[in-house]
Amino acid sequence: MATIRIPTPLRPYTNSQAEISVAGDTVGAVLSDLTRQHPALRQHLYADNGELRAFVNVFLNEEDIRHIRGAETPVRAQDRLMIVPSIAGGTETVDHAALRTNQAAIITLLIAAFVANAWWLAAAVMLIMAYGTLRRQPGFRPLYAGLLKPRGWVRPDVLRDNSEPHIFAQGFGAVVLLGAVAALLANLPVLGWGLVWLVVALAALNLFVGFCAGCAVYYWLARLRLPGFVKAPPAGTFPGMRPRGS
Amino acid sequence: MLSLSQAAVEAIQAHGEAAYPNEGVGLLLGRANGTEKSAEAILPLANSWPADEQYHRYRVSGDEMLRAEREAARQGLDVLGFFHSHPDHPAEPSRFDHEWATWPWYSYVITTIERGRATVTRSWQLREDRGGFDEETVVLPAQAL
Repeated sequence: MATIRIPTPLRPYTNSQAEISVAGDTVGAVLSDLTRQHPALRQHLYADNGELRAFVNVFLNEEDIRHIRGAETPVRAQDRLMIVPSIAGGTETVDHAALRTNQAAIITLLIAAFVANAWWLAAAVMLIMAYGTLRRQPGFRPLYAGLLKPRGWVRPDVLRDNSEPHIFAQGFGAVVLLGAVAALLANLPVLGWGLVWLVVALAALNLFVGFCAGCAVYYWLARLRLPGFVKAPPAGTFPGMRPRGS
Repeated sequence: MLSLSQAAVEAIQAHGEAAYPNEGVGLLLGRANGTEKSAEAILPLANSWPADEQYHRYRVSGDEMLRAEREAARQGLDVLGFFHSHPDHPAEPSRFDHEWATWPWYSYVITTIERGRATVTRSWQLREDRGGFDEETVVLPAQAL
Protein backbone atom coordinates (compact mmCIF):
# COMPACT_ATOMS: atom_id res chain seq x y z
CA MET A 1 0.00 0.00 0.00
CA ALA A 2 1.10 3.60 -0.63
CA THR A 3 1.96 5.92 2.25
CA ILE A 4 0.59 9.42 2.90
CA ARG A 5 2.50 11.82 5.13
CA ILE A 6 0.15 13.87 7.31
CA PRO A 7 1.13 17.47 8.12
CA THR A 8 1.35 18.32 11.83
CA PRO A 9 -1.93 20.33 12.03
CA LEU A 10 -3.93 17.39 10.69
CA ARG A 11 -2.52 14.79 13.08
CA PRO A 12 -5.18 15.51 15.73
CA TYR A 13 -7.60 13.92 13.22
CA THR A 14 -5.44 10.82 12.61
CA ASN A 15 -4.84 9.72 16.22
CA SER A 16 -1.47 11.50 16.01
CA GLN A 17 -0.27 9.24 13.20
CA ALA A 18 2.25 11.01 10.95
CA GLU A 19 2.16 8.41 8.16
CA ILE A 20 -0.80 6.38 7.04
CA SER A 21 -0.95 3.41 4.68
CA VAL A 22 -3.69 3.81 2.12
CA ALA A 23 -5.26 1.51 -0.46
CA GLY A 24 -6.11 2.45 -4.03
CA ASP A 25 -4.50 2.74 -7.46
CA THR A 26 -5.17 6.42 -8.15
CA VAL A 27 -4.61 9.57 -6.11
CA GLY A 28 -8.38 10.05 -5.88
CA ALA A 29 -8.83 6.49 -4.55
CA VAL A 30 -6.09 6.72 -1.91
CA LEU A 31 -7.43 10.07 -0.70
CA SER A 32 -10.90 8.65 -0.29
CA ASP A 33 -9.42 5.69 1.57
CA LEU A 34 -7.65 8.20 3.83
CA THR A 35 -10.88 10.06 4.66
CA ARG A 36 -12.68 6.71 5.09
CA GLN A 37 -10.10 5.71 7.71
CA HIS A 38 -10.16 9.18 9.33
CA PRO A 39 -13.48 10.91 8.53
CA ALA A 40 -12.63 14.02 10.61
CA LEU A 41 -10.05 14.92 7.93
CA ARG A 42 -12.71 15.36 5.29
CA GLN A 43 -13.82 18.92 6.07
CA HIS A 44 -10.21 20.11 6.21
CA LEU A 45 -9.29 18.61 2.82
CA TYR A 46 -12.50 18.92 0.82
CA ALA A 47 -14.81 21.89 0.19
CA ASP A 48 -18.60 21.51 0.39
CA ASN A 49 -18.73 20.84 -3.38
CA GLY A 50 -16.58 17.70 -2.95
CA GLU A 51 -13.49 19.21 -4.61
CA LEU A 52 -10.12 19.37 -2.82
CA ARG A 53 -9.86 22.76 -1.11
CA ALA A 54 -7.98 25.31 -3.24
CA PHE A 55 -5.06 25.53 -0.77
CA VAL A 56 -4.57 21.74 -0.51
CA ASN A 57 -1.67 20.45 -2.60
CA VAL A 58 -0.96 16.76 -2.97
CA PHE A 59 2.53 15.71 -3.99
CA LEU A 60 3.26 12.25 -5.33
CA ASN A 61 6.96 11.50 -4.83
CA GLU A 62 7.61 15.27 -4.73
CA GLU A 63 5.60 16.11 -7.85
CA ASP A 64 2.39 18.15 -7.64
CA ILE A 65 -0.45 15.90 -8.85
CA ARG A 66 -1.94 18.93 -10.66
CA HIS A 67 1.09 18.73 -12.98
CA ILE A 68 0.46 15.02 -13.57
CA ARG A 69 -3.11 13.78 -13.99
CA GLY A 70 -4.78 15.17 -10.89
CA ALA A 71 -7.03 12.70 -9.08
CA GLU A 72 -6.56 10.22 -11.96
CA THR A 73 -2.78 10.03 -11.38
CA PRO A 74 -1.84 6.33 -10.93
CA VAL A 75 -0.40 5.30 -7.55
CA ARG A 76 1.84 2.26 -6.94
CA ALA A 77 2.37 0.42 -3.67
CA GLN A 78 5.81 1.91 -2.97
CA ASP A 79 4.72 5.52 -3.67
CA ARG A 80 4.80 8.25 -1.03
CA LEU A 81 2.31 11.11 -0.99
CA MET A 82 2.48 14.39 0.90
CA ILE A 83 -0.22 16.91 1.71
CA VAL A 84 1.10 20.49 1.77
CA PRO A 85 -0.91 23.73 2.08
CA SER A 86 -0.29 26.79 -0.04
CA ILE A 87 -1.02 29.98 1.83
CA ALA A 88 -2.54 33.30 0.84
CA GLY A 89 -4.20 36.24 2.49
CA GLY A 90 -4.22 39.97 2.75
CA THR A 91 -6.37 42.91 3.59
CA GLU A 92 -9.65 44.24 2.24
CA THR A 93 -8.13 47.31 0.69
CA VAL A 94 -8.27 48.97 -2.72
CA ASP A 95 -5.82 51.40 -4.28
CA HIS A 96 -8.17 54.21 -5.29
CA ALA A 97 -5.43 55.91 -7.30
CA ALA A 98 -5.61 52.94 -9.74
CA LEU A 99 -9.40 53.36 -9.94
CA ARG A 100 -9.15 57.11 -10.58
CA THR A 101 -6.56 56.53 -13.32
CA ASN A 102 -9.00 54.08 -14.90
CA GLN A 103 -11.88 56.55 -14.74
CA ALA A 104 -9.78 59.40 -16.15
CA ALA A 105 -8.63 57.22 -19.08
CA ILE A 106 -12.19 56.09 -19.80
CA ILE A 107 -13.56 59.66 -19.73
CA THR A 108 -10.75 61.06 -21.92
CA LEU A 109 -10.91 58.35 -24.56
CA LEU A 110 -14.73 58.32 -24.75
CA ILE A 111 -14.89 62.10 -25.19
CA ALA A 112 -12.20 61.79 -27.88
CA ALA A 113 -14.32 59.08 -29.55
CA PHE A 114 -17.33 61.41 -29.55
CA VAL A 115 -15.39 64.39 -30.90
CA ALA A 116 -13.77 62.29 -33.65
CA ASN A 117 -17.03 60.42 -34.29
CA ALA A 118 -14.99 57.20 -33.95
CA TRP A 119 -17.16 54.24 -32.90
CA TRP A 120 -14.08 52.00 -32.94
CA LEU A 121 -12.45 54.03 -30.16
CA ALA A 122 -15.53 53.51 -27.95
CA ALA A 123 -15.34 49.81 -28.87
CA ALA A 124 -11.66 49.70 -27.85
CA VAL A 125 -12.48 51.26 -24.45
CA MET A 126 -15.29 48.71 -24.06
CA LEU A 127 -12.89 45.82 -24.79
CA ILE A 128 -10.26 47.14 -22.33
CA MET A 129 -12.93 47.46 -19.60
CA ALA A 130 -14.32 43.99 -20.37
CA TYR A 131 -10.83 42.46 -20.33
CA GLY A 132 -10.08 44.16 -17.00
CA THR A 133 -13.35 42.87 -15.56
CA LEU A 134 -12.45 39.29 -16.54
CA ARG A 135 -8.99 39.76 -14.97
CA ARG A 136 -10.69 41.31 -11.89
CA GLN A 137 -8.72 44.55 -12.12
CA PRO A 138 -9.17 48.04 -13.59
CA GLY A 139 -8.81 47.75 -17.37
CA PHE A 140 -6.32 50.62 -17.54
CA ARG A 141 -4.33 49.34 -14.57
CA PRO A 142 -1.14 48.86 -16.68
CA LEU A 143 -1.15 52.63 -17.33
CA TYR A 144 -1.10 53.20 -13.56
CA ALA A 145 1.06 50.29 -12.40
CA GLY A 146 3.52 50.41 -15.31
CA LEU A 147 3.91 54.16 -15.85
CA LEU A 148 2.21 56.63 -13.51
CA LYS A 149 2.96 54.96 -10.16
CA PRO A 150 6.62 53.96 -10.78
CA ARG A 151 7.43 57.52 -11.96
CA GLY A 152 5.71 59.01 -8.94
CA TRP A 153 3.26 60.99 -11.12
CA VAL A 154 0.30 59.46 -9.28
CA ARG A 155 0.61 58.51 -5.61
CA PRO A 156 -1.05 55.35 -4.26
CA ASP A 157 -4.22 55.96 -2.22
CA VAL A 158 -4.88 52.67 -0.41
CA LEU A 159 -8.22 52.65 1.42
CA ARG A 160 -10.12 50.01 3.39
CA ASP A 161 -12.57 48.91 0.74
CA ASN A 162 -13.82 45.88 -1.22
CA SER A 163 -12.55 45.37 -4.76
CA GLU A 164 -15.55 43.34 -6.01
CA PRO A 165 -18.05 46.24 -6.29
CA HIS A 166 -15.55 48.26 -8.34
CA ILE A 167 -14.99 45.33 -10.70
CA PHE A 168 -18.76 44.92 -10.99
CA ALA A 169 -19.15 48.65 -11.73
CA GLN A 170 -16.56 48.42 -14.52
CA GLY A 171 -18.32 45.37 -15.98
CA PHE A 172 -21.59 47.27 -15.86
CA GLY A 173 -19.96 50.15 -17.76
CA ALA A 174 -18.58 47.73 -20.37
CA VAL A 175 -22.07 46.32 -20.96
CA VAL A 176 -23.53 49.83 -21.45
CA LEU A 177 -20.69 50.59 -23.91
CA LEU A 178 -21.42 47.35 -25.76
CA GLY A 179 -24.98 48.64 -26.24
CA ALA A 180 -23.58 52.00 -27.34
CA VAL A 181 -21.30 50.44 -29.98
CA ALA A 182 -24.14 48.22 -31.23
CA ALA A 183 -26.39 51.30 -31.56
CA LEU A 184 -23.67 53.25 -33.42
CA LEU A 185 -23.14 50.36 -35.84
CA ALA A 186 -26.92 50.11 -36.32
CA ASN A 187 -26.88 53.78 -37.37
CA LEU A 188 -28.59 55.02 -34.21
CA PRO A 189 -26.12 57.80 -33.30
CA VAL A 190 -28.32 59.57 -30.73
CA LEU A 191 -28.85 56.39 -28.71
CA GLY A 192 -25.22 55.28 -29.20
CA TRP A 193 -23.54 58.54 -28.18
CA GLY A 194 -26.16 58.99 -25.44
CA LEU A 195 -25.05 55.73 -23.86
CA VAL A 196 -21.38 56.73 -24.29
CA TRP A 197 -22.10 59.98 -22.42
CA LEU A 198 -23.91 58.00 -19.71
CA VAL A 199 -20.68 56.05 -19.10
CA VAL A 200 -18.67 59.31 -19.15
CA ALA A 201 -21.08 60.89 -16.64
CA LEU A 202 -20.97 57.92 -14.23
CA ALA A 203 -17.15 57.72 -14.44
CA ALA A 204 -16.97 61.50 -13.81
CA LEU A 205 -19.34 61.20 -10.83
CA ASN A 206 -16.94 58.62 -9.41
CA LEU A 207 -13.76 60.58 -10.28
CA PHE A 208 -14.87 64.01 -9.06
CA VAL A 209 -17.50 63.28 -6.39
CA GLY A 210 -16.34 59.88 -5.13
CA PHE A 211 -19.66 58.15 -5.75
CA CYS A 212 -19.48 54.80 -7.58
CA ALA A 213 -23.01 54.14 -8.90
CA GLY A 214 -22.15 50.59 -9.99
CA CYS A 215 -20.83 49.86 -6.48
CA ALA A 216 -24.11 51.12 -4.99
CA VAL A 217 -25.98 48.71 -7.30
CA TYR A 218 -23.65 45.91 -6.16
CA TYR A 219 -24.38 46.64 -2.48
CA TRP A 220 -28.13 46.78 -3.11
CA LEU A 221 -27.99 43.40 -4.85
CA ALA A 222 -25.94 42.07 -1.90
CA ARG A 223 -28.65 43.32 0.46
CA LEU A 224 -31.15 41.30 -1.60
CA ARG A 225 -28.84 38.30 -1.06
CA LEU A 226 -28.31 37.72 -4.77
CA PRO A 227 -25.82 34.83 -5.13
CA GLY A 228 -22.27 36.05 -5.73
CA PHE A 229 -22.92 39.47 -4.17
CA VAL A 230 -21.51 38.96 -0.68
CA LYS A 231 -19.63 42.08 0.38
CA ALA A 232 -21.10 44.81 2.60
CA PRO A 233 -19.95 48.44 2.40
CA PRO A 234 -16.95 49.31 4.63
CA ALA A 235 -18.08 50.36 8.13
CA GLY A 236 -19.45 53.90 8.29
CA THR A 237 -19.59 54.32 4.52
CA PHE A 238 -22.75 55.04 2.48
CA PRO A 239 -23.09 52.29 -0.20
CA GLY A 240 -21.11 53.41 -3.24
CA MET A 241 -19.33 56.36 -1.59
CA ARG A 242 -15.53 56.37 -1.42
CA PRO A 243 -14.40 55.31 2.08
CA ARG A 244 -12.62 57.95 4.15
CA GLY A 245 -8.84 57.59 4.48
CA SER A 246 -7.52 55.58 7.40
CA MET B 1 -0.58 28.77 22.92
CA LEU B 2 2.37 30.13 21.01
CA SER B 3 5.64 30.87 22.69
CA LEU B 4 7.67 33.39 20.73
CA SER B 5 11.13 34.67 21.58
CA GLN B 6 11.71 38.42 21.66
CA ALA B 7 14.21 37.93 18.82
CA ALA B 8 11.54 36.17 16.73
CA VAL B 9 9.03 38.99 17.34
CA GLU B 10 11.66 41.54 16.35
CA ALA B 11 12.57 39.58 13.22
CA ILE B 12 8.89 39.30 12.22
CA GLN B 13 8.36 43.03 12.76
CA ALA B 14 11.55 43.96 10.89
CA HIS B 15 10.46 41.77 7.97
CA GLY B 16 7.07 43.53 7.83
CA GLU B 17 8.73 46.94 7.97
CA ALA B 18 11.12 46.01 5.15
CA ALA B 19 8.23 44.81 2.99
CA TYR B 20 6.16 48.01 3.58
CA PRO B 21 4.07 49.29 1.79
CA ASN B 22 3.67 45.71 0.55
CA GLU B 23 2.73 42.68 2.62
CA GLY B 24 5.50 40.41 3.86
CA VAL B 25 5.08 36.73 4.66
CA GLY B 26 6.99 33.83 6.17
CA LEU B 27 6.87 30.70 8.30
CA LEU B 28 7.24 30.08 12.01
CA LEU B 29 9.46 27.07 12.71
CA GLY B 30 9.81 25.37 16.05
CA ARG B 31 8.71 22.51 18.24
CA ALA B 32 5.23 21.47 19.23
CA ASN B 33 3.80 19.47 22.08
CA GLY B 34 0.11 19.05 21.40
CA THR B 35 -1.38 22.54 21.24
CA GLU B 36 1.68 24.16 22.85
CA LYS B 37 3.98 25.57 20.22
CA SER B 38 7.36 27.11 20.70
CA ALA B 39 8.80 29.06 17.76
CA GLU B 40 12.57 28.92 17.46
CA ALA B 41 13.19 30.38 14.02
CA ILE B 42 11.45 32.27 11.29
CA LEU B 43 11.74 31.59 7.59
CA PRO B 44 10.88 34.62 5.41
CA LEU B 45 9.29 33.67 2.08
CA ALA B 46 8.81 35.46 -1.23
CA ASN B 47 5.38 36.94 -1.87
CA SER B 48 4.38 35.43 -5.23
CA TRP B 49 1.41 37.70 -5.87
CA PRO B 50 1.97 40.12 -8.86
CA ALA B 51 4.10 43.02 -7.57
CA ASP B 52 1.53 45.75 -7.99
CA GLU B 53 -1.07 43.82 -5.95
CA GLN B 54 1.27 43.04 -3.06
CA TYR B 55 0.10 46.09 -1.12
CA HIS B 56 -2.91 44.00 -0.05
CA ARG B 57 -2.16 40.41 -1.03
CA TYR B 58 0.34 37.65 -0.26
CA ARG B 59 0.61 34.14 -1.60
CA VAL B 60 3.09 31.28 -1.21
CA SER B 61 2.74 28.42 -3.68
CA GLY B 62 2.58 24.74 -2.79
CA ASP B 63 6.00 24.14 -4.38
CA GLU B 64 7.55 26.88 -2.26
CA MET B 65 5.82 25.45 0.84
CA LEU B 66 7.17 21.98 0.06
CA ARG B 67 10.70 23.44 -0.08
CA ALA B 68 10.06 25.25 3.21
CA GLU B 69 8.76 22.06 4.87
CA ARG B 70 11.98 20.31 3.76
CA GLU B 71 14.09 23.15 5.18
CA ALA B 72 12.20 22.87 8.48
CA ALA B 73 12.72 19.10 8.57
CA ARG B 74 16.44 19.61 7.82
CA GLN B 75 16.66 21.81 10.93
CA GLY B 76 14.69 19.21 12.89
CA LEU B 77 11.80 21.67 13.30
CA ASP B 78 8.09 21.73 12.50
CA VAL B 79 6.11 24.38 10.63
CA LEU B 80 4.04 25.93 13.43
CA GLY B 81 2.28 28.56 11.38
CA PHE B 82 2.70 31.68 9.30
CA PHE B 83 3.29 35.35 9.77
CA HIS B 84 2.26 38.18 7.50
CA SER B 85 1.98 41.94 7.72
CA HIS B 86 -1.03 44.24 7.30
CA PRO B 87 0.22 47.60 6.01
CA ASP B 88 -1.86 50.35 7.70
CA HIS B 89 -4.51 47.83 8.71
CA PRO B 90 -5.50 46.18 12.03
CA ALA B 91 -3.63 43.02 13.12
CA GLU B 92 -6.78 40.94 12.72
CA PRO B 93 -7.62 38.33 10.08
CA SER B 94 -9.46 39.93 7.15
CA ARG B 95 -12.27 38.27 5.24
CA PHE B 96 -9.70 37.42 2.58
CA ASP B 97 -7.46 35.79 5.20
CA HIS B 98 -10.46 33.71 6.29
CA GLU B 99 -11.28 32.65 2.71
CA TRP B 100 -7.74 31.30 2.39
CA ALA B 101 -7.34 29.93 5.90
CA THR B 102 -5.78 26.47 5.92
CA TRP B 103 -6.12 24.40 9.09
CA PRO B 104 -6.80 24.91 12.81
CA TRP B 105 -3.73 24.48 15.08
CA TYR B 106 -1.51 26.64 12.82
CA SER B 107 -0.65 30.06 14.24
CA TYR B 108 -1.49 33.03 12.00
CA VAL B 109 0.68 35.85 13.30
CA ILE B 110 -0.34 39.26 11.93
CA THR B 111 1.62 42.48 12.39
CA THR B 112 0.26 45.95 11.75
CA ILE B 113 2.76 48.19 9.98
CA GLU B 114 1.71 51.82 10.36
CA ARG B 115 3.45 54.22 8.00
CA GLY B 116 6.42 51.87 7.86
CA ARG B 117 6.70 51.10 11.59
CA ALA B 118 5.53 47.85 13.22
CA THR B 119 3.03 48.62 15.98
CA VAL B 120 1.02 45.52 16.99
CA THR B 121 1.68 41.79 16.57
CA ARG B 122 -1.08 39.29 17.40
CA SER B 123 -1.64 35.60 16.72
CA TRP B 124 -4.83 33.89 15.54
CA GLN B 125 -6.07 30.35 15.03
CA LEU B 126 -8.77 29.04 12.72
CA ARG B 127 -11.73 27.57 14.63
CA GLU B 128 -12.38 23.86 14.46
CA ASP B 129 -15.58 24.46 12.44
CA ARG B 130 -13.63 26.78 10.08
CA GLY B 131 -16.19 29.52 10.84
CA GLY B 132 -13.67 32.18 11.87
CA PHE B 133 -10.51 32.96 13.80
CA ASP B 134 -9.93 33.19 17.56
CA GLU B 135 -7.01 35.04 19.09
CA GLU B 136 -4.22 32.81 20.33
CA THR B 137 -2.28 33.54 23.50
CA VAL B 138 1.30 34.56 22.74
CA VAL B 139 3.88 34.07 25.45
CA LEU B 140 7.28 35.70 25.37
CA PRO B 141 9.77 33.38 27.13
CA ALA B 142 10.56 35.99 29.81
CA GLN B 143 6.89 35.80 30.82
CA ALA B 144 6.89 32.00 30.68
CA LEU B 145 9.66 31.72 33.25
